[in-house]
Amino acid sequence: MACHERMEDDSGKYERIVHKNGSSYHYLKISLEFEEDTSIRLNSAQFKQLIISSLKQLFGEIGAALPFDVLQFEENTLSAVLRVYNRDLVKVWSALTLLGSYQSEMCAFRVQQVSPFLLALCGNSRT
Amino acid sequence: MYMHLEQCPRHLLVCEKSNFTNEKSRHGIHVQSHYFNYQVNMLIPECAVLPSELNALVNSFEKYYLVKNVPVYELVEQQFIDRFVKKGSVYALSYNTQIDQDNTVALLPTGTLILSVDKDTYEELGLEGKSSQYSHKAVMRYVITVDLKSLVPGTAKNKRVMWALKEKLLVKCDFLIMWNSPGDEDFSLSTHFEKYQCKEHAPAVSTKVLRDLPYPVIQSCDLRGNPEKSCDASEFMEWLGAVTSEIECNNEASNFLSTFCCPEPSSVMEKAYLCTVTGFLLPENICKLLEQLCHYFDEPKFAQWTSLTVHGFADSPVSWGSAEHGFHKGGENFYNFVVFKNRDYWLQMAVGSHDGCPP
Repeated sequence: MACHERMEDDSGKYERIVHKNGSSYHYLKISLEFEEDTSIRLNSAQFKQLIISSLKQLFGEIGAALPFDVLQFEENTLSAVLRVYNRDLVKVWSALTLLGSYQSEMCAFRVQQVSPFLLALCGNSRT
Repeated sequence: MYMHLEQCPRHLLVCEKSNFTNEKSRHGIHVQSHYFNYQVNMLIPECAVLPSELNALVNSFEKYYLVKNVPVYELVEQQFIDRFVKKGSVYALSYNTQIDQDNTVALLPTGTLILSVDKDTYEELGLEGKSSQYSHKAVMRYVITVDLKSLVPGTAKNKRVMWALKEKLLVKCDFLIMWNSPGDEDFSLSTHFEKYQCKEHAPAVSTKVLRDLPYPVIQSCDLRGNPEKSCDASEFMEWLGAVTSEIECNNEASNFLSTFCCPEPSSVMEKAYLCTVTGFLLPENICKLLEQLCHYFDEPKFAQWTSLTVHGFADSPVSWGSAEHGFHKGGENFYNFVVFKNRDYWLQMAVGSHDGCPP
């Protein structure tokens, strides 16, 4: 109701807000590549566990406890969208970079796109 | 100890609200001055079939050309300037060049040619330019700007530019190019560039109908949101990102994979129409689409709002107007309109770290 009252005055009134570093999160579009053709299949839970174990390898228990979300996971392409807190971006990214194997198979994470805006991930002109 | 690890690059989000009928509204200027557009996403709630007027517009985006291996001096040739630059608006952007490592070239519709080049190329060319705003201590990138409309044939400056680009160092790129001319002209870009591999492309259109979608409640008068009543513009934008990328928004707080949820207060829409156009898109076409989206509410509709997102090219040397754009962790430069039933609109403009504040 309050808003309706304000609408009388505010409707169409110009307003501008600038958010500097307004987003608390960064979003990463990543994919997992194996060096050779492999029969290994990962489901979404195993995929997240793999990232957690790579964080543990690099930063210990504290790394393993970093909160992050796997917003989307595609089993066929092993690609995913992650959401991490800004303060954890460097740690998650470095853990992804340094991961070298899964179940003794050589593999690597490719970070395809990073952005503080989730909306930016659907319109990437760099492919 | 890890303090420096916790920093992340700066990013800016500008949220504006106004009304399309407002005389001073600058929505048209913002659209027109964002020259290089890669993708448009349109979301219409409670709609399963696109109205014919919108459908016609979506399918009438101008075709563009991809010309391979063109020396940059071709854009400075007097014949090109007389035939195209002075008789309309030329949009040209080098294709498959990454602005954080390659030489990137753009021709703006204002007739300004911009070369964003690395240090070696800059020194070899010997043209006057400025160091990139986003350089580190050692400058590794320079921006050269040439106003083609003011180049007079035969003058020392003209000769110097031609000599640098033709004889001193032959800079070649693939170009996405488009010409928006005021009327029927005698020449076309395809005939002008016929000695190069020149192919016409039409923007790709894809559509999807989404079902049973949770959505955040928003009110046009409240850009900042209200904890109990409506969500703010940035929460809405995050949700819109999830919808466009088809990310699940129905997670519980205890979920192992993801705790991402639709912002509160929320409601559920039965269906929504999502339409995506990808290519080299003319701002004029986007203006028309926006105008038509306003007319969507001329007839009574269930939807309270519609949205239109426009993504710029990550490797364009400019974002809005002639503001320098670069690529750091990402090259995001995009804007989103939320068009409300009462002709109010929200405009959200976002950029990453190598970009100035949106206009």
